Amino acid sequence: MISKSLAIKVLNAALATGGDYAELYLEESTPEIIMLENGHVESASSPQGYGCGLRILCGFRSVYGYTSDLSAKSLLALAEKLSASYAEPRKFTVEKIVSPRVKKNINISDHVRDVPVDEKINYLKEISGIISAVDPRIVRVQTGLSAGYKKIEIYNAEGPVGQHFSNEEERTRVFMIAMAAGENGIETSFSGPGASAGWSYFTNTIDYKAIAKDAGEKAIMMLTADECPSGRYTVVIKNGWGGVLFHEACGHPLEASSTSKGLSVFSESIGKPIASPCVSAWDDGTIANEWGSDNIDSEGVPTQKNELIRDGICVGFMIDRFNGRRLNMAPNGTSRRQSYKYCPTSRMSNTYIAAGKDDPEQIIKDTPLGIYVANFGGGSVDPTTGEFNFSASEAYIIRDGKICEPVKGCTLIGTGQEVLMQIDRVGNDLELGQGNCGAASGSVPVNVGQPTIRLKEITVGGRGGKLE
Amino acid sequence: MNFNQFFALAKEKGISESQIQVSKSKALSISLFRREIEDFRVNESQNVIAAGIVNGKFGSSLTEKLGKDTFDFLTDRILLAARLNEKKEEADIFKGSEKYHKKNVYNPALAAVPTEEKLALIQKIESKLYDADPRVAEVEVEYSEHESSSEFYNSFGLKLKQKSNYFYVVASVVMRDGEATKNNWKVVLDKDLSALNVDEFVAEVVDGAAKKFGADSIASKKYPTVLDRDVMASLVNYFLSSAIADEVQRHTSMLEGKLGQKIASSKLTIEEKPLEKNVFFSYFDGEGVATRNKVVVKNGVLKTYFYNRETAKKDGVESTGNGTWGGGKVGTGYGNVFVKPGKQSFDELIADIKDGVYITDVAGLGTGMNATSGDFSCQAEGFHIVDGKVAEPLTLITLSGNLLKMLKDLKGFANDVKMTLGSISIASAYIKSMSIGGK
Repeated sequence: MISKSLAIKVLNAALATGGDYAELYLEESTPEIIMLENGHVESASSPQGYGCGLRILCGFRSVYGYTSDLSAKSLLALAEKLSASYAEPRKFTVEKIVSPRVKKNINISDHVRDVPVDEKINYLKEISGIISAVDPRIVRVQTGLSAGYKKIEIYNAEGPVGQHFSNEEERTRVFMIAMAAGENGIETSFSGPGASAGWSYFTNTIDYKAIAKDAGEKAIMMLTADECPSGRYTVVIKNGWGGVLFHEACGHPLEASSTSKGLSVFSESIGKPIASPCVSAWDDGTIANEWGSDNIDSEGVPTQKNELIRDGICVGFMIDRFNGRRLNMAPNGTSRRQSYKYCPTSRMSNTYIAAGKDDPEQIIKDTPLGIYVANFGGGSVDPTTGEFNFSASEAYIIRDGKICEPVKGCTLIGTGQEVLMQIDRVGNDLELGQGNCGAASGSVPVNVGQPTIRLKEITVGGRGGKLE
Repeated sequence: MNFNQFFALAKEKGISESQIQVSKSKALSISLFRREIEDFRVNESQNVIAAGIVNGKFGSSLTEKLGKDTFDFLTDRILLAARLNEKKEEADIFKGSEKYHKKNVYNPALAAVPTEEKLALIQKIESKLYDADPRVAEVEVEYSEHESSSEFYNSFGLKLKQKSNYFYVVASVVMRDGEATKNNWKVVLDKDLSALNVDEFVAEVVDGAAKKFGADSIASKKYPTVLDRDVMASLVNYFLSSAIADEVQRHTSMLEGKLGQKIASSKLTIEEKPLEKNVFFSYFDGEGVATRNKVVVKNGVLKTYFYNRETAKKDGVESTGNGTWGGGKVGTGYGNVFVKPGKQSFDELIADIKDGVYITDVAGLGTGMNATSGDFSCQAEGFHIVDGKVAEPLTLITLSGNLLKMLKDLKGFANDVKMTLGSISIASAYIKSMSIGGK
């Protein structure tokens, strides 16, 4: 997007006042977004993003700026404005730029962008038709496809020899939203499979027809669900998207952006027990073609498989370059950003609780009374106190070891410290689920994941009174 | 940019009517951590959105890449989007309103204040936060300033421009007392720096955290509940999003068929005032329609939905000037909402509550709210109300209910109006009874 010689010029202008690291992040994105309402195309758009972010670090200080004008004049002006924050003698001059080889975790041969748009529309119409056909009480169906495509170039320098990385990000997600109307109002269900994969993933690898039918059936089922009880109960959480519990309650507080400043409940936890011994957890940005995977992170560091918890002991964090400085720990390929408009920081990629030994059916059989959460809408956490919440979009009462009647309006709350210790059973059925995670550096695609797990006791909020 | 060239190119390619909007934004932010500038940011960006009509179908496109190919890119994308558009209704481009109520809300004085002074302001806040209480362990303070302008043109000769700016200061503290950690944050938003009362601001941030020490859960049951302004504003925001005509016409709004009916307590009156001269002022909407002030709910009766041109046409009414346009299609939005306050002070409002709950913050409403049915459940914190007084702090409780039922159970508002970040001005609200989950 810019020449190497201009990149060197801008980096050197940025480093003129004593900065010890400078980084240019250039991006051009041309996503394709198609939205259908009840099987009819409402909009098809391709908003083009274009710009550059410049970051200069000086010890524990950071300055960041961006512009959508990539001319030499504009970039040099940005470098001058930002570098004015520091007033130290120049530490080094960038003399040359090398391009390290990047190992690819994403390999796509059948690019979604090359598929004729009418074929993608027909696919979405088929899904819409399947959902509508489930029941006449389905009053509205929204289907959509969002195919992200980004060309990225990174130039960075920590010494006279700088680095240049060129990368492409390509990921697609299909949205299915079913809305059903009944006597007690309207219920919505959502499904959104996604991957850094090609078109055949969506047409062949996943069973999109079954996913669509299930979305329709879930909306209908919730029409007659009772209100969830409130109080403290045993809760079994289904594998896959249920891992949003770990993501919110434990993943965010293990990001270096929280731990490095002493703001996280897990700041001083390396080497200490933070979970029950049956829990091990990972953040792995390298899984081939997964939704949360990348070849390199937003500052050019190759993604890695990072161990977070081993048998209940905290063994690692997600670490970006800047926060790594406070921790005196090396960055581990987890620095991410939504776009050039965001300064990168430590974020999760594909984060999951590792598979255990229990048979998931046995876990339910061993639970006399409790709540089975099959799906979540999402949640949030305050990393400083560890307090989290998340709301179930599909939940049932467990009675005498069996999954019984569905309930709605179920919220789980607690603290990360508490919930990790409350896990007493871990299934052998690890699965991942796709989501978008919003934090300081914007919204980034992440996989959450876990096997079926059981929490001995956790606070459940709902309008249905006591569970009997 | 010469927009006549765009209109000419569009016509040449078969786009019968067209419009184009250029938006520019600039921002500055400074963050402090442990008495150092931890983060300093400046940025400038721009984008162009264009739309047009091809054979009665609407198509639109957006780009941030401005250069010699921009108009070609935009027109090609409009053609493709219009070809794929399967909306049955014939679309057109709005020609212009008869009258616009333009006001100048841009404050050049804010932009002219040197960066050093803005830095000094937050350094003062930081230092006062550290000194306010020995339990203050960590402090973060950020100054952020935003400036944006937009220009709107169409092929009928309409030209509209507006420019605005504002700043906000956000401060958070972490307080430690033995093993217990509590935090709190607060934000002030305005376009005039003198609106910020530093001592008051600092005291509120620290008191907010200090009051949380010793917090516990409470027995699960229904309580008379008082919702603080930010909490009530978030809930009212969900209610208002149900008043968007598009949702109503698609049968997914809880307000369908409720126009002219009493849907809430008579204590509820809500106005939308886009023409109120404050940081949220806007005199034309995303389609170029002149905005106007309107009553949405009067004494509990629903008076109007929010319309853009397309949804208004379907219902045979005029657009209410609530069109939005950010990308693929024209949507509907609202802002600058004023909820009528009560006459009592906060203390008077809670005086007759024997055993109740005062909710000061909620988390997880984004996923805990079923926006179509109005059922919600979320994490909450606040205080127990005992014998008409705010008593011990509560944490890790849940608040659940149904939005319409809650608005029917509204007993009244206090007079402590505050303009919240979401552009809703509102006072603390007293709800007869809500479900609280705890022990």
